[in-house]
Amino acid sequence: MTLLTYREAAIEIEPGEDVLSALLRAEIDAPHSCRSGVCQSCMHRAVEGKPPAAAQQGLSEAQKALGYFLACVCVPDTPLTVVPAQEAESRAEAVVHSIDRLSGEVVRLRLEHDADFAYRPGQFLELIAGDGLGRHYSIASLPEEDPFVELHIRLHPGGRMSRFIAEELAPRRRLHIAGPLGTCIYEGVDPDQPMTLIGSGTGLAPLIGVLRDALRRGHRGPIRLYHGARERDGLYLHDHLAALTEKHANLSYVSRVLSDPGPQGGDVATAALEYEDALPHTAFFLCGGEKLVGRLKRDLYLKGASLKQMRSDTFLPASASR
Amino acid sequence: MSSLYERLGGEKAVDAAVDLFYRRVLADGRIARFFEGVNMEDQLAKQKAFLTMAFGGPNKYTGTDMRKAHEKLVAKGLNDMHVDAVVENLSTTLRQLGVAEMEVQEVAALANSVRNDVLNR
Repeated sequence: MTLLTYREAAIEIEPGEDVLSALLRAEIDAPHSCRSGVCQSCMHRAVEGKPPAAAQQGLSEAQKALGYFLACVCVPDTPLTVVPAQEAESRAEAVVHSIDRLSGEVVRLRLEHDADFAYRPGQFLELIAGDGLGRHYSIASLPEEDPFVELHIRLHPGGRMSRFIAEELAPRRRLHIAGPLGTCIYEGVDPDQPMTLIGSGTGLAPLIGVLRDALRRGHRGPIRLYHGARERDGLYLHDHLAALTEKHANLSYVSRVLSDPGPQGGDVATAALEYEDALPHTAFFLCGGEKLVGRLKRDLYLKGASLKQMRSDTFLPASASR
Repeated sequence: MSSLYERLGGEKAVDAAVDLFYRRVLADGRIARFFEGVNMEDQLAKQKAFLTMAFGGPNKYTGTDMRKAHEKLVAKGLNDMHVDAVVENLSTTLRQLGVAEMEVQEVAALANSVRNDVLNR
């Protein structure tokens, strides 16, 4: 029996030895620094087996639930298959279920996939269209209810993937997905805790996933969803979300349009920073561009929010793909 | 006699202090610019490693790591004044948490012991 497997390869590990030492001895260039379970630079993820609790100390509940652990303090007692923290575990075939316009720029793509592509709402996957053409998109669907994964994709004029989606994708077309990755999920949240979700553009996709997951799990605390867009048309689920607040008394929805000079206009981060109270007790979910997420994280933290209670997903341009 | 780390309350004490300490550091106009654009989660983990060391806790501190980590900041003008500000923020945080003056001084001394490595001297 092999105690340690790295990707596909069996790695020799001595009794009492930690995973990092075993990887380094096998000449795997695993990142590391403090070697005492603190700095988190040696983080890996177990795709099979459960890492010992001591190897997950200091990680978020989401990271723990998804199998992340610190290799330098991980002495396995049961078999583990591990991959680097940012590596997707599986590649699967998918078939286009439907493709619809949600707004002038945003497309909703629903893909049917094999049952063994397991994910949590709010994670992201890589959509692979062909040689060298892959992009990350967040997942808005709920595996317990939807027979497909749902992605919200903003079409960029001139983007290779955008062109492929607009011109070539049609129902029944086959392609590949890889993943999932990401830790912006409903985990480690108390059912009575206030929850605040802030996103701009298609940053709404993972937030919808998290919101639906929270409601399905019976979240009772107040939930506030903020969505920002450049133009009014970009509030692509406005009516759906407004209707949802009628159904759930604990849900409120705030939208902001950057180009609108009126009271509903302006920047979504500013609105959220102005309205948010109960900061130290709130669970935050932040999704969107680097500037928005960075600013919210920093300013909410400086105002008293806990970094441990912030989950985020930063959308990077394709050239700097995650 | 128990160790400084045990007297302070071990890892729980580090966890309690690190959030307050890092918030103070980011809000401190003297040093905030050195933290612009950093990944806040990574940085919090590093601050935790630093506090664990300064609390006399278990660590595998190496001067080389500390030097490498601060090389670019020294090039941007990091100097004694900034290290003073960090140590000051750390002491204020501990006092805020009700740590006795003797322990505050011990922590400050440990934090100061890495000054030359931080400043690449």
